[in-house]
Amino acid sequence: MDAAACGALRPVNSRAKSRFADVDAVARYFGLTALTISAIGPLVLLVLWSASGEWFFPALMPQRWSPDGWGWLFQSGDRVAVAVRNSVLLGIADGFIGCAIAFPIGRAISRLTGWRRYMAAAAVFSPVAAPPIALGIGIQYFLLRIGVGGTAVGVLLAHLVPTVGYLSLYFLSVFVVFDSKIEDEARTLGATSRQVLFYVTLPMMRRQVTEAVAIGFLISWAQYALTLTVGGGTVHTLPLEVFSYMRAGSGNFAASAALVMIVPPILALAAARYAAGRTVVSPV
Amino acid sequence: MTVTDRRRTLALLGAALVATPVLLGVAYAAASAIGITGIGATGFSLTRLAHVLGERTVWRSVAWSIWVAGAATLLAVAAAACAAIIFGGRSVIDRTARALAIAPLAVPYVVAGALGLLILGQSGYLARLAYAWGWIASPNNMPALVYDTRGIGVILTLAWKEFPFLALVAFSLIAARGVALEETAHTLGAGRWATLSRVTWPLLWRGLLPAATAVFIFSMGNYEAAALLAPSDPLPLPMLTLERYFALDLSQRADAYVLTLAGLLIGLAAVGVHEWTRQHAELFDQ
Repeated sequence: MDAAACGALRPVNSRAKSRFADVDAVARYFGLTALTISAIGPLVLLVLWSASGEWFFPALMPQRWSPDGWGWLFQSGDRVAVAVRNSVLLGIADGFIGCAIAFPIGRAISRLTGWRRYMAAAAVFSPVAAPPIALGIGIQYFLLRIGVGGTAVGVLLAHLVPTVGYLSLYFLSVFVVFDSKIEDEARTLGATSRQVLFYVTLPMMRRQVTEAVAIGFLISWAQYALTLTVGGGTVHTLPLEVFSYMRAGSGNFAASAALVMIVPPILALAAARYAAGRTVVSPV
Repeated sequence: MTVTDRRRTLALLGAALVATPVLLGVAYAAASAIGITGIGATGFSLTRLAHVLGERTVWRSVAWSIWVAGAATLLAVAAAACAAIIFGGRSVIDRTARALAIAPLAVPYVVAGALGLLILGQSGYLARLAYAWGWIASPNNMPALVYDTRGIGVILTLAWKEFPFLALVAFSLIAARGVALEETAHTLGAGRWATLSRVTWPLLWRGLLPAATAVFIFSMGNYEAAALLAPSDPLPLPMLTLERYFALDLSQRADAYVLTLAGLLIGLAAVGVHEWTRQHAELFDQ
């Protein structure tokens, strides 16, 4: 802002101040109400829908309550139960493998400078920016060629593509501000590279690595388009079930599955905020 | 080769490894689009490319997707900026509002799409509220928000889904910048609106630009919300791509590759616009 522009402006008088205070109060009131509805409303709606047996227009509350929407929880062979199991296993594998691949890549890129870092960051950003449908269609041929198209392994490999991209960027931002002097001291004291990694770096980075695994889990957990294109409809995951129930008009099943889908991300978000709140002194 | 050189080479190789699936996918899509490989490939030919690019359906699909992604991004940016300006303080209410704003961050796209249908549908919760308040007499009186050609339902759903991410960035920008600049502007005699429009907003939009570009690209490529809420004519670009890819007529698969490349090009164009805007930011502050 240039000083001349500021100087041309007159100080605000008390009547104007009071008017702004009123506008402030109104904006804060409406803002808080809108944010509360936006955050809590959809969740309440999903709970109501999942527990409804009959809920026709124009009723504001279900006309009949029913546990049917949650029946799949108690049937181990049910489609949704299988989908939950697949999603959990894929998410865990994606989180750990993605983290193991992205950790050294993010660290290596953080040591680059100038155009090299710019180019490397752009390269790892590409799987993040590529539309999942485009990515799925593009890589399906190669996954079919190596014999994993339409299998859980193929879906896992496909999920790893955006996950490794995201986590490489995550570790890049972490290592850019990482102080490696402690590692240097350990080396000076005779520690091998392996010992430095397992006894110095990883213990220092415990929180970041845990967060990265959680992010990797969530990327796989929410993945729809890649699972559909690469899994070819044979690998059932929770997002696919929510989608097909919505398409079929089974609102209560879709709502219960959607609620199950939301829980892990909410827990991960809360855990991340809790961890961030607790971290008073951090090496990074 | 020195240790530094070796580390540099390994870092660049690592980055290339991450980008390899994308590059392979793009290369395969490009080769299929020009008839070099894929089902029904007969050697180099631009016929399929020209055929797809000559289809009115495709251009309507591209235009519709850009409109929806652009409108959703603008709405989300405006809402995030307002939230950051109103609740940028340190009081309990400010902190509560910030926590509420980022809470829907955890909602996956498919769930956002399902919620959009349950709330905005012809007999959805919004229509029920409208009936309860006496605004409509039957679901038919409710304006069509889903499956409509203007894409209002998809726009509102994507804006709601992307708002927490942009709000998070906006809150961080406000927190990192502090209040020193605003206080200086006040000291120099700037009023409330002048400070907002000439100090806070220019800083906010510059900081939000990369995130907004990412949101535009994500919204353009989003399949789940579009498939649950969008009309069948014009079809959103990701749906048209998948429709051609899974078509019984296998010759249409090459169309899907052309559309895939079109989607990627639009994403690249968005990044180009972002770079240009970043370099000419002062033009937008006049």
